[in-house]
Order: sequence, then structure tokens, then C-alpha cells
Amino acid sequence: MTGRLIRNLSALFVFVVSVFPVYWMVLTAFKPAREIQAETPTFWPSALTVEHFATAVRAQGFWSFWRNSLLVAGSAVLLSLVVALLAAYAVARLRWRGRRGFILMVFVAQMTPWEALLIPMYVIARDTGMLDTLAMLTLVYFMITLPFTIVTLRNFLAAVPVELEEAAQVDGCDRPAAFRRVVLPLLAPGLLATSLFGFITAWNEFAFANLLIIKDQDDRTLPVWLSSFSNTFGTDWGATMAASTLFMLPVLAIFLVLQGKVTAGITGGAVKG
Amino acid sequence: MVLTHQAPPAGAPPAARPSSAPGQRRRGALWPYLLVAPTLLATAYLLVYPLLRNVIISFQHFGMGELIRGGAAFAGLDNYTAVLTDPEFWSVVRRTALFTATNVVLIMVLSTVVALLVVRLGRAMRLLVLGGLVLTWATPMIAATTVFEWMFQSQLGVVNWVLVELGFEQFRGHTWFADGPQTFGILVVLIVWQSVPFAALTLYAAMTTVPHELYEAARIDGASGGRAFRSITFPILRPMFGLVTCLEVIWVGKAFVQIWVISEGGPGRATTTLPVYAYQIAQSLHRYDLGAVVSMLMVLLLALALLFYFRHMFREEART
Amino acid sequence: MPLRPAAGLLALALTLPALAACGSDSSGASPGEPQNLTVWLMKDTATDEFVADFEAEFERDHPEYTLTIQIQEWDGITEKVTGALASTDPPDVIEVGNTQVAQYAASGGVSDLSEKVDELGGEDWLPGLAEPGAVDGRQYGIPFYAANRVVIYRTDLFEARGVTPPRTRDEWLAATARLNQGGVQGIYLPGQNWYVLAGFVWDEGGDLAVRDGQEWRGALGTPEALAGADFYRRLQALGKGPKDSDEAKPQQTDVVARGDVAQFIAVPGAAKLVTAANPELEGKLGFFPIPGKTPDEPGAVFTGGSDLVVPAASGRQDGAYAVVAALAGERWQVELARTMNYVPNRTSLADAVQDDPGAAAMAEGAANGHATPNSPNWTAVEARNPIKEFLTKVLTGADPEAAADEADAVIAAALNTAE
Repeated sequence: MTGRLIRNLSALFVFVVSVFPVYWMVLTAFKPAREIQAETPTFWPSALTVEHFATAVRAQGFWSFWRNSLLVAGSAVLLSLVVALLAAYAVARLRWRGRRGFILMVFVAQMTPWEALLIPMYVIARDTGMLDTLAMLTLVYFMITLPFTIVTLRNFLAAVPVELEEAAQVDGCDRPAAFRRVVLPLLAPGLLATSLFGFITAWNEFAFANLLIIKDQDDRTLPVWLSSFSNTFGTDWGATMAASTLFMLPVLAIFLVLQGKVTAGITGGAVKG
Repeated sequence: MVLTHQAPPAGAPPAARPSSAPGQRRRGALWPYLLVAPTLLATAYLLVYPLLRNVIISFQHFGMGELIRGGAAFAGLDNYTAVLTDPEFWSVVRRTALFTATNVVLIMVLSTVVALLVVRLGRAMRLLVLGGLVLTWATPMIAATTVFEWMFQSQLGVVNWVLVELGFEQFRGHTWFADGPQTFGILVVLIVWQSVPFAALTLYAAMTTVPHELYEAARIDGASGGRAFRSITFPILRPMFGLVTCLEVIWVGKAFVQIWVISEGGPGRATTTLPVYAYQIAQSLHRYDLGAVVSMLMVLLLALALLFYFRHMFREEART
Repeated sequence: MPLRPAAGLLALALTLPALAACGSDSSGASPGEPQNLTVWLMKDTATDEFVADFEAEFERDHPEYTLTIQIQEWDGITEKVTGALASTDPPDVIEVGNTQVAQYAASGGVSDLSEKVDELGGEDWLPGLAEPGAVDGRQYGIPFYAANRVVIYRTDLFEARGVTPPRTRDEWLAATARLNQGGVQGIYLPGQNWYVLAGFVWDEGGDLAVRDGQEWRGALGTPEALAGADFYRRLQALGKGPKDSDEAKPQQTDVVARGDVAQFIAVPGAAKLVTAANPELEGKLGFFPIPGKTPDEPGAVFTGGSDLVVPAASGRQDGAYAVVAALAGERWQVELARTMNYVPNRTSLADAVQDDPGAAAMAEGAANGHATPNSPNWTAVEARNPIKEFLTKVLTGADPEAAADEADAVIAAALNTAE
């Protein structure tokens, strides 16, 4: 009995520690400005206000920020899923010369310090006329997420018993058909889960968004918006927190829908090696 | 990555895994290469090519003027000599190693503990903890970093207020960000806080796949909880631990946004890790050439740090 | 998807030498059709009304152009401006901070406007804006506007404690000490307001860095600078400003809006933010110049502000100049100074804002205005600001000389970085 009490108390502790900063963010977003600056913090506001959300939503180009971010992050993830799925299949199911080299390449690609490639990427974009295009930004985010997507999808694929595929082949399907009819449905949760990670990465990125979109202001993305509540006099904390809360919502929504599948999928593969 | 097309060492992968379809090799002569072709093309253009440009920059005199006007002059090994003979670079390398090791150890230990705890919880508590972890995981990095900065403010921060309320009077107006080790510590807390959910959720999910009978058997044999973890859970989940550790090493070693937003590598150099250092040199000093050198060396060092894992992974690959 | 990069790669291989970042004249519009000009102003440089009025009037006066003013955020602005200068189709006019203009001027990416100086009334430009915009006698940055810090104070609290605006540093300390009691902060001075420190250092006859032949040296370790830092420490202690943070974190106008702060140091425009956050303080805010060592001269201040530059790669140089001439000319200078409480770019226009108390206090202080050390690399010092860390160390009880030596080494390293 005491063991159970200790476990539940520890669980409560873990919950509080992991949730408190998020709570603080949302709380600050709803607090009246005067209370945010109060010397004695309040853990439950005396009055809730939506003025910070109003400030955040009033920002110029609010909707185009959202549209661009959704578009860029969405296309990058989709692209990377398709490309990674093909590669993951080759790695997980087929034997070929150069396979190990390929795996190594994927891992090394994952180590790329992207901030360091800002300048070369900028030069390449400029010299090919791709500056100020969402396409370039999409390609960069696609590449940033591709290695992780391959690694994870490979694990998901490995978790799908190869016998299922073979059975379908015996039934007269060719290999692509067998893959489409048998493997893909089993893989769906894995695909969704993996895409989430890519989505978060692309959703958060600031440095490339700042440097590759120069003159075309209609092409700016959300992280640029998040930084827009600072001015010469400082940061508007309430508005920043409100914007952060809004910024987090889509990710959270997808997470809540997919959570179980995310972890189950990742593990299924890795445990099997 | 020229590596890709290198032939694997002689006698490498055996014909196929036991479970693979017979005749796979014959049929798959061209297939695999077609399947990886898009990845290779994308990587060539969007990663290898920029990396090459980066390498070229690292051998040039390349500052803001060259970026704008073009016409960078060849510099030979000057940039590399400059970086490698700078004692500051090496102290940054050591700090990065310490930062990465501290974070990864904490992340792995804490997430294992959390995962083990969740496995043993009742349904309601389990959902509560999992929900909390998911919420943390979903919090965008920039948002989380901003909140941490806000919580540790010296005058209006909630952390100081709580500490004072608890009776630690010396924390009234305590200046966390004035002190190197303390800023370092806050960054560790932040990164661990952000990273534990992924690791813990993954490990938890992995643990649930361990057949229950194994534990039953162990319990009948009188094994303690710790013993069961050592002799059952850990061995079965070793590939998972390996993968998660490897990913965390990469992510923590590359961590940039959190450090840049909170401390810009300061105070002094106390929180300047390699990515921050490279960024400072490139974007603040506009020495894109030196920044390129640092970033290339960083990839090398990371690869070196994970060499052990790669060797292990390939041995496992070869075994299957 | 693989097609496009491949095509790009091919195109790149063929055209690389030709494309090496030279100015483009690609956007030559057909005659009769107006050329579109793009201008970058920084966030909070001007009000929305000002921007709209300017656009409308400029397009009326210059039917051959259409004008788009884009407002830029502060975060990541150096990267952005660098990227813009290096691009083939940059904006036509960019506002850059006067501490940053030197590096862009030296980079070769900005048009030389030396021949237009007379036309623009350059003989009485504020030196704090004109000098950083010039390299080797050529003028690249055109002064736009300036602002310097003053003390903003609560008239009601001053009256309640029987204090009048001080004229010397000693009076200032004494007055602040009297205000700093009974739940009132005498002054809210965050620990890392290095512009304020710079003023105190200049008052003592020191500087942040000095040039020794070709070598720069950090000068915080000089007795003058240490004396300035010591004054900062004494003043800072008369309030609850955070020692490890600057005026932006938390935003000091919000702190002052809480109502318990008797004075703070900022540009006069900050007063509007305070009253916006707390309307009860309307009419209770006054201004005085930062006190100097003697009553005869106000304290030295950092002249902050902006210059306008024209990217060399812009294909619309004439249009760009027309915008610069309008923004730097009397009509819009006076308008901008009145709307925003700025100091106009020419001393001869200073009268335009004399009737505003904040601007008057600022103008008085501006007489003793200084600039940061004139080096293209100064931005690098600010980017990793060792002066802020020096201040925090002094305020938290470290040995000032040792802290100064450390900061000086960082300053010297940044300033002596080869171009």
C-alpha cells in the first residue's frame, strides 16, 4: 500500500513538473498586464483577459503567417514522408550493396548543424533565383526532417511482419501491390507519428525563415510572428505568451489525436531491431 | 556522401535475413537503388552541396564583403589553423562535451525512471502522467524557452518567489543569469525538461512490449525489481536505449535555439557550446569562413562521439 | 521534386560565374508604367499614419513610382539586412541603426551618396548620425533621425517628497535616495543598461574602446571608465532594477506602469508606453536631461538613431534616392520628429520640437551626445555584449578591475577581427 502511495505521489510530482511551465505560459497569456508585472505572482488570475490574444491576432499579416506555416510545414512533411518511405523500404526489406553506407549517411545527415549551413544555403538560393520563395523554405525543411523520418520509418517497417507481405505476393500481387494493400495500412499510424516530428521541426524554425524570405513579406512564417512582440522598448510578455499558446495549439491537437500511435509505432520497430 | 556507393566490406551482409523472401536478391537488382534515388538526389542537392559550399568557404577569406560582392580569395589552411590553435575553441569543445554528457545522462536516467514508474501506475494516474508528458512534448521550443527565461527572472520570476516563500531568503532578487554555472544549470534543466517526454514515452512504449511472463517468472524466482530491470528489461530494450541515447546525443549536441535565446552563450563563455560558437563567429563577427570551419569540425566531433554506436549498430546489422 | 533541384544544379553550374552577386538592372519597367520601390523601416520607427501619409504623398509627387514601406522586426535584423544587401533584387532603401551602419558601409554593398551630401543639407547633420555613415570620407549612410535618453520622472512623487529635478550627479543621488523609501523605488535602473553606463563613462572623460594606431583596445579598465561604473552602481542600488538583465527584460515601461517607480532612464517616447499601460499616470510624468558632473553641462548621452542606406544592388537607384531625399528632407523630418519625439537629422531643424517637454529635455542632453566607437566591427561587440556582463559583475560585487579586463579583452578581440 505504501509502495502505491509513493508511486502515485511521484507520478503527481512528474505531472506537476512537466506541466507547470506550460501552465505558466497559458496563465500569463490570460493575465491582465499589471498582474504579469506583479512582484507577488498569482497562480490563479483575479481576472482573466483576452487582450493579449487580441494583440497577437491583430498583428499585421496574421492569417498569411498561419497559411504559410501550415503550407510549408505540411508540404515539407508530406514530401519527406514519400521520399523516406521509399528509402526506408529499401533499407528495411531489401539487401543491396551500399546499404550500410546509406544508413551511415542518413545518420550523419541527422547530425548536420543546420544553423551553420545558413550562408551556403542562402548563396545557393540566391544564385538559383529561389530567394523569397516558400518552395525553397519547404525544400530546406524537407531536408532537415528527412533523415529522422527515414530512421523512424525503417523501424516501423521492420515491425510489420514480412510474412504478411509474402502472403500477399503468393496471392498474386506484385511487390508494389502487396506493399500498397498490406503494408501501407499497417504503417499508417507510423507515418502519421513520424510526420508529427517533422511538422514540429518545420513549425518551429526561425533562422532560415528569416534569411531566405527577404523582400516578400507575404511569405513570412509563424516563428517570425512570434518574435514580433518585441520592440525597441522590450518584449510584450503577455502577447508573446498568448502567441505561444496559439502557436502550440495545432501541434497539441495533432498530438492528442495521435499520441498512442506515435509511441507504439516507434517502439514496435526499434525493439525488433 | 561518396560513401554511399562504396562496396561494403567483403562478405558483408549475408544473403538475406532468415525471414526474407527467397529470391529477393535476384529480383531486387535495381529496385533498391531506384527506391533510395530520391533520397540520394535530395541529399546531394540540399545537404551535400551546401556542405561542400561550406567546405569551400572554410578555405576562403569570406566575410560580409565577400558575401555581398563575391570574389572571395583562397585562404589555404589559414582558417583551420586559426581555429585549431585558438585555446578558446578547445575549451568550447570541452564545454560542449560536458554539456552533452550531463544532459544525456540526466535525460536517460530520468526517462527510464519515469517510464518504469508509468508502467506500474494505475490507469488514472498513468493517463495523467502521459498527458503531462505529451503536453510538454507539444510545447514549441521557442515558447518553452521564453517561459523558462521568464520564470527565472530575478525580480519578477516565479522561481525566486517560490524559493523565498519556502524560506530561502537569499533568493530574493537572486540573479540567476549573472552566474555562469547557474545559467548552465538552467539550460540543463530546460533541455532535460524538453527532452524527457520523447525519451520517456518511447521507453515506456517499449517496456509495454516486454512479455509479462518474463517478469512473472522472475518474481517466482524471487528476483527484486532492480534485478528484473537489469536482467530482463534492459537487455531486451537495449537497441531502444541505444537508439534513444544516440538521438539525444545528436539533439543535445546541436542544441542552439534554447541557449541562444536564454544566454547567447554567456555570461562570459559559460554556456557557449559549439553550435553557439559557430553562430557567433559567423553571424556576429561576420567571419563566415571561420564559422564554416567550426561547423565542419563539429560534424566530425559528433560523428567521432557516436563512432562506438555506429560500430555497434553495424555489428547488429551484420548479425541479423 | 527531384527534377527541380537537378535543374537548379545544372543552371547553377552554367551561370555561377556570371551571378556572383553583382547589381541587377533586371527590373527596368517599361516606360509609362510606375516602378515599384520598396523601403524598409524598423518596427516603431514611425506610426502607421506617418507611413500611410508618406506613401500617399510620395506617390503623388513622384507619379513614376509606387512605394511599398515594409516594417522590419528587430530579431535577426543583422542577418536579414546582410541577406538583403547580398541579394540580386534588394529593397531600395533600408533604415539601419547608427551603430550598425558602419559595417554595411564598409561591406561594399551600399551605394556611395557622397555627391548628394550638399543637396541633402549635410553641413549641419548630427555628427552622431553622419560619422558612422561615412567610411574613408565617403558618405554611405544618410542621417535619418536621432534620439537620446533622458530621465523620465513622476512629478507627483517628486512633489510629495519635496524633490526638484537635479542638475548635478550629487544632487541626483541625494534626490533619488530621498525618493527611494516607503515602497517607492527611487529609480528603476536595470543592471545591463550599457548605453547609460557609456554616458557616465564619457562624463568622466573615458570611452568604451580607444584606437591605438591600427589596434583597438577595450577601455573599461581605465580609471575613468571604472569611475563611471562606480557611479552606475551607486545609482542602481537606489531601486530594484534586476542586476542581470537589461531594460527590455522585463520591459521597463511595464514595470514603471505599476506605479511605484519614481524615475527611469529612456528615450522620451517611452513615456507614452507607460501611460498606455496605466492611464492613471497620465500627466504625472516629467522629463529632465541626465545630470552631468557640474550644473553647466548635462550628462553625456549616447546618440541613438538611424541612417538610411541604398543597397548597391538595387536596380532603381534614382527612385531610391528620391525616397531618401524625401525622408531626410525638412518636411518629413519635422513631421517625424513631432510624431515620434525624435531629434531631427539636422541641427537647424531642432526648433521644430521645442514645444514638447520630452523633446526639449532630449535636445538639451543631445548637446553632449556621443557615438559608440567608430568601427565596422562595433556590431560584433554589441552582439556578444561584454559591457553588459561587466556591469552585472560590478553590481553583484565582483572585482571591477578584473571584470573590466575580461570585458576589454573581448572588446579588443571583436574590434580587431580582420574584415
